[in-house]
Amino acid sequence: MSEPSAAERPVLEVEGLVKHFPIHGGLLQRRTGEVRAVDGVSFSIARGETLGLVGESGCGKSTIGKTVLKLIEPTSGRIVLAGENISALKPGAMWAHRRRIQTIFQDPYSSMNPRLPAGTIVGEPLENFGLSRGRDTDERVAKLFERVGLRPDAMRKYAHEFSGGQRQRLGIAKALSVNPDVIVADEPVSALDVSVQAQVLNLLIDLQEEFRLAYLFISHDLAVMRHISHRIAVMYLGRIVEITTKRRLFSQPLHPYTEALLSAATAPDPKRRRQRKRIVEGDVPSPANPPPGCHFHTRCPYATAECKVTAPPLIEVAEGHHVACLRRPVGGDPGPLSIPG
Amino acid sequence: MSAAGSNILEVRNLETQFNTLDGVVRAVDGVSFDLARGETLGIVGESGCGKSVTALSILRLIPPETGRIAAGSIKFEGEELTSLGEAAMKRLRGHRISMIFQEPMTSLNPVLTVGTQIAENVVRHMGVPWRAARERACEMLDLVRIADARRRLDEYPHQLSGGMRQRVMIAMALSCDPQVLIADEPTTALDVTIQAQILQLMLELKEKTGTAIVLITHDLGVVAETTERVVVMYAGRKVEEAPVEALFAEPLHPYTRGLMRAIPRLDVEADAAGTRPRLQEIPGLVPRLTQPIPGCAFAPRCGFATERCRVEPPPLVDVGAGHTVACWEVDRVRASAL
Repeated sequence: MSEPSAAERPVLEVEGLVKHFPIHGGLLQRRTGEVRAVDGVSFSIARGETLGLVGESGCGKSTIGKTVLKLIEPTSGRIVLAGENISALKPGAMWAHRRRIQTIFQDPYSSMNPRLPAGTIVGEPLENFGLSRGRDTDERVAKLFERVGLRPDAMRKYAHEFSGGQRQRLGIAKALSVNPDVIVADEPVSALDVSVQAQVLNLLIDLQEEFRLAYLFISHDLAVMRHISHRIAVMYLGRIVEITTKRRLFSQPLHPYTEALLSAATAPDPKRRRQRKRIVEGDVPSPANPPPGCHFHTRCPYATAECKVTAPPLIEVAEGHHVACLRRPVGGDPGPLSIPG
Repeated sequence: MSAAGSNILEVRNLETQFNTLDGVVRAVDGVSFDLARGETLGIVGESGCGKSVTALSILRLIPPETGRIAAGSIKFEGEELTSLGEAAMKRLRGHRISMIFQEPMTSLNPVLTVGTQIAENVVRHMGVPWRAARERACEMLDLVRIADARRRLDEYPHQLSGGMRQRVMIAMALSCDPQVLIADEPTTALDVTIQAQILQLMLELKEKTGTAIVLITHDLGVVAETTERVVVMYAGRKVEEAPVEALFAEPLHPYTRGLMRAIPRLDVEADAAGTRPRLQEIPGLVPRLTQPIPGCAFAPRCGFATERCRVEPPPLVDVGAGHTVACWEVDRVRASAL
């Protein structure tokens, strides 16, 4: 597909997004701390573009999705959707903008009313936003069903009668029904078998090209990410540690955590096991008590004394390639890092 | 011949069925395979293919209210397990055949310390005094590289991270030196960096202890990187079996080929424009297992299928070097491009 045009203003811009969740404890349930789920994240997505957010559990990727959707309120930061700052909008005022940003969940079943036929579920957003009524809605829903590869007679079935892949198609039809600009897709294929996963990924790509949709695609699966994304942001403990084009990320990862993720991923090729790679040690620290300095320094083989005290800023070290690592300065050698000491 | 032979486990024509409101589900429909001593065998397939039920059948953990082993034989060191009494089976489980599951939290007792849980198993099967069993537990935690093992003995499962819990499960499973370890999706719930740690640990421990492993997974990447031989299952049947290199170099069953083409690849270089090639879909759905399937179970979704495929089940044919495949059209499949 053609690259998204650069001249156009991004359809979604996020600047300095912070989301802290309070922790209450003690007898009086006083605030005793906070989980820094998202700790100053900035990115933008153009029309027709997929930005992948990848990272392990607790890195804040899903919280970003929910905050951008305004399902939860950001602690601070700006969210600009199609030129409009929505970060401070109250629920009532947000309503008018909800149509523009829709979501696809990992488990669409849990978001579907089991007592309503599928056609009604998919048609509901159309009627909610006053985009159509009655017979007109039915016709539009029938078209949507066809577009996502469901038979029209499926409109009368109930959610439990569909397979996992078909339910995800329903979820996609529902998200698509109100003609959004942005779709936040949070692990949309993680629960699916690979043969079905391929069907859903292909459908998402086709729809993106047809409607110039912007996707914020959240996943822990690097192979899926590489398949669907144009650009990828790698997250660790609430911060973006590296963001660049898919191609650069996979051919020249600069952040040690990205390198660790890539080398930990398995590949369907038995020959690869002999060239076994560096495995990063230890667990992800708790986001309620992240390490000082660079969050990754506790597991990073390349960490120096400075990494333990100074939080590295996310800087552009090459065109379109941002990385937050003290050992990767602007104009530095992009080759392998040396282990200090 | 089998008792003294190199196979520690021999499964023949295993059929496991469940009674449901929709009728009898043939979850495992005539599966046979061998496990050699010290070998790592992968069983791979998608949801509902019968891979987990096969594992539960070996351990005789099929709930008797709803399911049963309807036919076939499971021989462990030459001893028939399908007819073994429950008391004897209990002595076997967790001792000579162990199992680890996807979600360790569901198999760990939340109100007992991990030390107590490991030691309990050791006392029951090895008949050693409690103090020695705790020592053994400590050794095992050390073996699975849990730092500060002695202190961890007194911790509860909720105090541990997901990766750590899986290490505890492995420690427990290996505490009585089993001959066979059955691992059902042991890393599916874990983050990728932790998955890499656990897989490496399992392989190292296998080298150290000589335990044979049956690794059940849906993840072809995990299979490729950890197993020596692979059984591919579809709709309760074994459709292909091969040494791991042969399976990935030349998959012969159309379903295996379909699976391999359906996964996005990390190890294949994208083209210069960074375009997104279409993934090959496997059209259609897995068949219902409540109806008898007359021919090849994959025929309705298969591009190679002929009339014969739909009516006559293909036998497993040895195509050489331990590679077997159940496909009438294997010559055409082999001749076609992968």
